[in-house]
Amino acid sequence: MSEVGLDPARARLLVEARLGRRPQDMLEAAVVLEAWVGVPAQRALAAAKALMPETAADPQPSVGRLPPPSSQKGVLLEGAAFVISVIAIALWAAPLVSSLGATVVRHGLMVTLPLTIALQWGLRRRWLDHPHGLAQLADRALLLLAGALATVGLPTLVLGPSGMVAGLLTVTLTGGTILIRRRWALVYVAIILLATPPLMMGLSPLPVLAAAAAATALAVALALRTSAMPAPSSTGQWERAVAAGVIGIGLGLMLVLDRTVSWTEGTVPALALLPATFASFWGGYHLRHLERAMPRAGSGIPVIGERTRGLARPPLGVLFGALGRLLVLAGVLSVGLMALTPWLGSSARDAGVLLGFALLALATMLVSLLESMGGGAWALFAVTCAAAAEVAVRVDGTDPFSGTGLVVGGLVAVVLVLPPVIVLLSRPASTLATALWIP
Amino acid sequence: MGQRPPNPPTRLALARPRVLLTTEGTYPYVMGGVSSWCNVLVNSLTEFEWQVLPIVPPDGRKRMFELPDHVSEVGRIEVWSETLPQRGRPQPLQRRAASRLPAVLVRNLLGWEGDADAVVDAWVWCRRFPAGVRSVFRSARGWSAFLGGLREVLDERVPEAGTPPVLDLVEAAKLYQTLYWVARTAAAPTPATDVLHVTAAGWSAIPAVVHKTLHGTPLILTEHGVYVREAYLAAVRNGDSPGSRFAATRVARGLARVAYANADVVSPVTDANAYWEMGLGIDPAKILVLYNGLRQTSTPTPAPRTRTVVSVGRIDPLKDVHTMLRVAAETLRYVPDARFLHYGPVTKSEEAYGRSCTALHDRLGLGERFRFMGPTDDPNGAVRDADVVLMTSISEGLPMSILEAMGEGRPVVSTGVGGVPDVVRGCGAVAAPGDEHALAMAVVTLLRNPDLASRLGQRGHARLGRIFSEAACIDGYRDLLQTVAHGTAPQDVSIGLAA
Repeated sequence: MSEVGLDPARARLLVEARLGRRPQDMLEAAVVLEAWVGVPAQRALAAAKALMPETAADPQPSVGRLPPPSSQKGVLLEGAAFVISVIAIALWAAPLVSSLGATVVRHGLMVTLPLTIALQWGLRRRWLDHPHGLAQLADRALLLLAGALATVGLPTLVLGPSGMVAGLLTVTLTGGTILIRRRWALVYVAIILLATPPLMMGLSPLPVLAAAAAATALAVALALRTSAMPAPSSTGQWERAVAAGVIGIGLGLMLVLDRTVSWTEGTVPALALLPATFASFWGGYHLRHLERAMPRAGSGIPVIGERTRGLARPPLGVLFGALGRLLVLAGVLSVGLMALTPWLGSSARDAGVLLGFALLALATMLVSLLESMGGGAWALFAVTCAAAAEVAVRVDGTDPFSGTGLVVGGLVAVVLVLPPVIVLLSRPASTLATALWIP
Repeated sequence: MGQRPPNPPTRLALARPRVLLTTEGTYPYVMGGVSSWCNVLVNSLTEFEWQVLPIVPPDGRKRMFELPDHVSEVGRIEVWSETLPQRGRPQPLQRRAASRLPAVLVRNLLGWEGDADAVVDAWVWCRRFPAGVRSVFRSARGWSAFLGGLREVLDERVPEAGTPPVLDLVEAAKLYQTLYWVARTAAAPTPATDVLHVTAAGWSAIPAVVHKTLHGTPLILTEHGVYVREAYLAAVRNGDSPGSRFAATRVARGLARVAYANADVVSPVTDANAYWEMGLGIDPAKILVLYNGLRQTSTPTPAPRTRTVVSVGRIDPLKDVHTMLRVAAETLRYVPDARFLHYGPVTKSEEAYGRSCTALHDRLGLGERFRFMGPTDDPNGAVRDADVVLMTSISEGLPMSILEAMGEGRPVVSTGVGGVPDVVRGCGAVAAPGDEHALAMAVVTLLRNPDLASRLGQRGHARLGRIFSEAACIDGYRDLLQTVAHGTAPQDVSIGLAA
């Protein structure tokens, strides 16, 4: 091996030539001398110590590498699939009512909506929002099958035909969430669209709903089978998944508690949801920028020093951008719906109902954001208060306008959730470090 | 916290001594040198009951090794996962004091002269109140205390430590997350045991150090590489920001200091590592060098004389495959009919490096003269096909691939890193790391002189039997474990640097 003269000046030159900068400390210098110059360990350590300057240099500012953003591929397709599904299922209401009766369908939907939203939130928190979630879910095929059977069986046992309607719709809609996340959105849309003509033609609805649910379950099984791979033993936490599920129940209840909104008057009530659905999707889609805005707010801001002004601007900008998008689009589409569709009747075009749905969409977006930033307990409290407010309006029975319950519930949720969301986003580094990066 | 308890009464007279083997990203989930060593050790020392406690990322890997009856996996510590800690919350008063936990960790793990005992006390608190760890780290008070501690570290001015860079808030948040997982690792339960055997002076030492503090169980630390040195090498080559580099290397150094301070015996696999360990502050009286060993074939098969050069190792920057490719290119200028076979997978997370190797292979026009053969489960068979075995690593402890070459009677050309010069002495050629010309000339010399190559191979085979046999290695660990397990004070063990 080549012998190297190890006077400190020469050693420093060798180290700096290899690194292209000064060594961080004597250990880095020793490692370089040993690994790339071939100096034995003992001599490398001694030489490294000698080459470090006695006087401290000025500290070098550092800018950390930002974490790469997660893939957003397919988000628009997911949104389109969701909207198509809402429209198609809206078309199912009339044939279901004409075959099964308004009471059966109303009761069925009152179970379907909270149960579906609860399962969707729980599934997302536990599996679907995690990189390996689908693979891990694939390992739980039997659990899913048992869950699907229970979802149909238990409500049927308790509520009879309305329970069966609720169970079958819940399996279809929840399975659809998995298919959309697996990027099998077109398969899901195809199932929904194929089920629509037989219902419209007056075929017995329960077999059609059962076929749709079975087809969705089969598609889920196939979709998960193709995503099976070695998966981590843990993704989301059960505790948070259950809490998310309970929040979902609360949001679902908020949707069905308002007695001025009928879900059985043909396609009309579901179509009234469309402005809020589109708006919520646009607002939520804009929130994806938070993933970059949060770390970017702290990037290049030294931990030594008091420079904290302006930190909150990027994340709060994203939040207000999302709020603005949601409110503006909901407003524009609602006005459009009211102006351009006089044939739909009053229940789809009632300003109070449309406002209520918009507020509920806003509340849902904020609750979801708060929950994802570790504020699950407060989010649950807010949703509980909002649902309780709706119950109070329902019990009181003096609705001054259609959709009063929705408006009151939505407002309560927004008022309770917006301040903590703003507080968390105005301290991006702290939120990043404590809530987002500590699971 | 505070007083360390004495050794508890042993149960050794009644049953086999229990050894808790803590691993970190290796046995039994990942193939590699350390895993092979663990496998040989636990399969050979059947007079002990082995309890394996691996620290792993949450990637759902399957076990790569069958565990025999006297070996059991006693849990698994998943880091950077979403699992919640076990229950056990501190009382309000303790919680208030505990909000300083992140500050204690950052100050004493990252500080150049941090207090190892303070770190251990903090880890013991984590073990007592596992659920408290998460609540402390998720609190604004914990973050604020951490920033205060970090600022103290960044304000340190020690000549040999250089001037710390000023981290930004994102780097600080990442460091905070790392310290959270350090604390979570400390909070993980460990089973009752008689001896703690740690396989690296890093994360795998954390649960063992806590166990030792709580129960007084003796702790042996085997270092294959030198944890701190490898952390610095990784930081140098990955081109991270100064702040990230600082955080990664200081955490590694802090963990190693705590491990060294609490180990009763440190057993590096080569003298070169021992020098590093002494340089990092270990009392030489604690050090017992135990060379890796290999089971030897009785008579090596003759070399094929096909001018074949074989290398075995992961495709990883530490193995400096770029230099290997350049050595091949230069060798082929002098010996055009030589061929190079490289066995080994691309290290997980080093896929970009793997691609750079393929690109360099194309640029050098090596074609079929240098082939990447992929992973092998028969390294001895691979080496048997060689006339010369080549290694170009920039960091090694005592590499098994060189011992395998010697076991098969093949001459070795290698970079002189870690324990390699001591091993290869008289049975191969050693050059400075990255010196592709010297390495190529050595390869050319041996390919052109098969008789010389054969003589060096025979000498390597004989040297392996004398110094680096598997039996000697296993006997060394047997003696050490029995001595420690039976309560003999570490100073009674015959330890010190090998002659």
